[in-house]
Amino acid sequence: MSKGLIAASLGLLAAAVLVTSALARSEAAATPAQIAACTNVSLGFVGPLTGPVAFLGQEQISWLRFGVQKYNKANKTRFKVAGGDTQLKAPVARTVARRFVADRKIMAIIGPSESQAVRVGGNLYEKAGLAAISGSATATDLTKGRPYTTFFRVVPNDAIQGPQVVAFVAGNLGAKNVVVIDSQDDYSIPLASGISRGLRARNVTVSRESVSVDDTDFSSIVANVGNNVNVVVFATQNATSANTLSNQLREQGKKAIVFGTDGAYSPAQFKPRNGYVSVFAPDLHFDRKARALIREYNRYSKNRTFGSFGPATYMAGLAAMNAIARACADGTATRSEVTRLVRSTNIPSIFGGTLRFSKKGDPLPTKFVLYKITNGTYSPVG
Amino acid sequence: MDWDKIVQLLVNGMTLGSVYALVALGFSMIYGILKLLNLAHGDVLMVGAFIGWGIISWLGGAQDPSVAVWLLIVLMLLGAMVGCGFLGVAIERFAYRPLRRAPRIAPLISALGVSFFLQNSVLLLFGADYRSYETFDLVDVEVGISWGPLNIWIIRIVVIASAFAMMAGLWLLVTRTKLGKAMRATAFDREAAAMMGIDVDRVIVKTFFIGSALAGAAGILVGLVFGSINHFMGFSYGLKGFTAAVVGGIGSIPGAMFGGLFIGLSEAFSVGYIEDLTRGRLGSAFSDLVVFLILIVFMIVRPQGIFGKPEVKKV
Repeated sequence: MSKGLIAASLGLLAAAVLVTSALARSEAAATPAQIAACTNVSLGFVGPLTGPVAFLGQEQISWLRFGVQKYNKANKTRFKVAGGDTQLKAPVARTVARRFVADRKIMAIIGPSESQAVRVGGNLYEKAGLAAISGSATATDLTKGRPYTTFFRVVPNDAIQGPQVVAFVAGNLGAKNVVVIDSQDDYSIPLASGISRGLRARNVTVSRESVSVDDTDFSSIVANVGNNVNVVVFATQNATSANTLSNQLREQGKKAIVFGTDGAYSPAQFKPRNGYVSVFAPDLHFDRKARALIREYNRYSKNRTFGSFGPATYMAGLAAMNAIARACADGTATRSEVTRLVRSTNIPSIFGGTLRFSKKGDPLPTKFVLYKITNGTYSPVG
Repeated sequence: MDWDKIVQLLVNGMTLGSVYALVALGFSMIYGILKLLNLAHGDVLMVGAFIGWGIISWLGGAQDPSVAVWLLIVLMLLGAMVGCGFLGVAIERFAYRPLRRAPRIAPLISALGVSFFLQNSVLLLFGADYRSYETFDLVDVEVGISWGPLNIWIIRIVVIASAFAMMAGLWLLVTRTKLGKAMRATAFDREAAAMMGIDVDRVIVKTFFIGSALAGAAGILVGLVFGSINHFMGFSYGLKGFTAAVVGGIGSIPGAMFGGLFIGLSEAFSVGYIEDLTRGRLGSAFSDLVVFLILIVFMIVRPQGIFGKPEVKKV
């Protein structure tokens, strides 16, 4: 190889390194406190738009878009929604986070929908000063000790769900023998472990089982469920799986009923003959005051079946738009300014009362709602 | 000994095994003829499941079907088998035939491409939601055999019986018909078969049609017995079907049948007993570990599988 060629190659390499580092520096410098022209602002939705729990992400983004359209009409604003599909995969969620952090138009994140997506993207949003308001991430550690200072959620966390499920299963249902199943993900394992610990502390016999989030057959797990088991608590993000499990229990003549955690809440998909489900926000279908909103949503969306995921994300969107609009009062806004204003959110909630955040980023005050399911029909408990 | 549990696991394993056997048969037939691992085979199963979902939805859905239940199931099976059969022919024609003389890695990569193409096409057409056959509404889960510890839902009986009927039909086709003889000859030596006047291309096309039709039927059986289907379900069934084919002896039809049932039963029993056998160290989540451990053991100890013959090369 000639000396000239070597020198040229080294020169090219050096130039590439310089350009790359300059680009990286300019991106890093641009992200923490970007000033946005308030005429072109987007909300970045981060959630599973495809994959095993796509129904959840699709319901959320549909309600978010509905909320944005309604808000724009009422306030003469021009907010837009940018969709970021996590596919329920943590590495994909991190890529989405990087993309949104680098996008100057995005002034707030609606989501991430899943706890694992918060864990992988939370520090990126924090470094960029970008507020992330989730409508469904319930893992306790996301706000405990405030690991992500720009993360907020409009739903209660699993530290509330777990004890509530335990109290209901051991107390109201009087279960003595329970099987707790997780679906091998960041959402369900801590929740199932917490529920198991809580039940054992109340002298309930607990067996643990585990299934994959993609599994569609639980018949062999059901074979492990003894005839003396009263309740099977299924921590899952997949309502169709909860439905299959309850039917396979019945198929094998087992008396146990399924108690699904919030991921299983779907009146269209989880339809056991007898069962229970907990969910982080009340289902608007049972609220007379929400009828006008539901009618409006049904006119807006072709997908009329929804549970609690969509309306909670609608509230997250409202909180973000409210903060951005306040930050934009002088014509420009920074992400940090928006985040500061999200902290002081105090807006009427479609679930009743007002939406406010604690210092940790959790909603104030709130609890999970339980529903009893009889022949596929849901009714609130208590 | 908990006999109730053993009998129930046997039934569960037979159900899973029947599906794996149908997938393994397709793998084996295609490998036998072309020496090609059709990695898109699991996705053909997925397409079959979606064809069935289309038919059940078109005929009024599981809650209120416009035809009798038995007719609905027959129509779903026929629709999926014919649809997937032609899909297999198209895959062979456009993805594999142009690469028949290429190095062996080329059709393998092409097969991966077809797999992604099918997954994404279904995602585009039907969306990402899990689709449900709602079989639990079609036939109540309590309808079936309940005798002592034995509880078998009628749909499970239909699934196991149809799978065995199809396996028997294929066995007869391969051993008793002219086409079967041509298939065996082509698998034995493609060039010699051509010299004997066998239209090898036609035999290959028919093999793809039959193998893919069986995968389509397996897709329907999965949808019927487990209720829900999705666009990436083919990966898991394809992988387990492939494992079954290797265990039984890839290229061998009885081997594929045996391998399918063996893997299905291993999976069911490992879910049922892995925790007891490992004294709580491993839970039911590790059942796939057992299945793929079987694959590894066979690859090392008996790569030709149980029914396969070691390949002898003339030197």
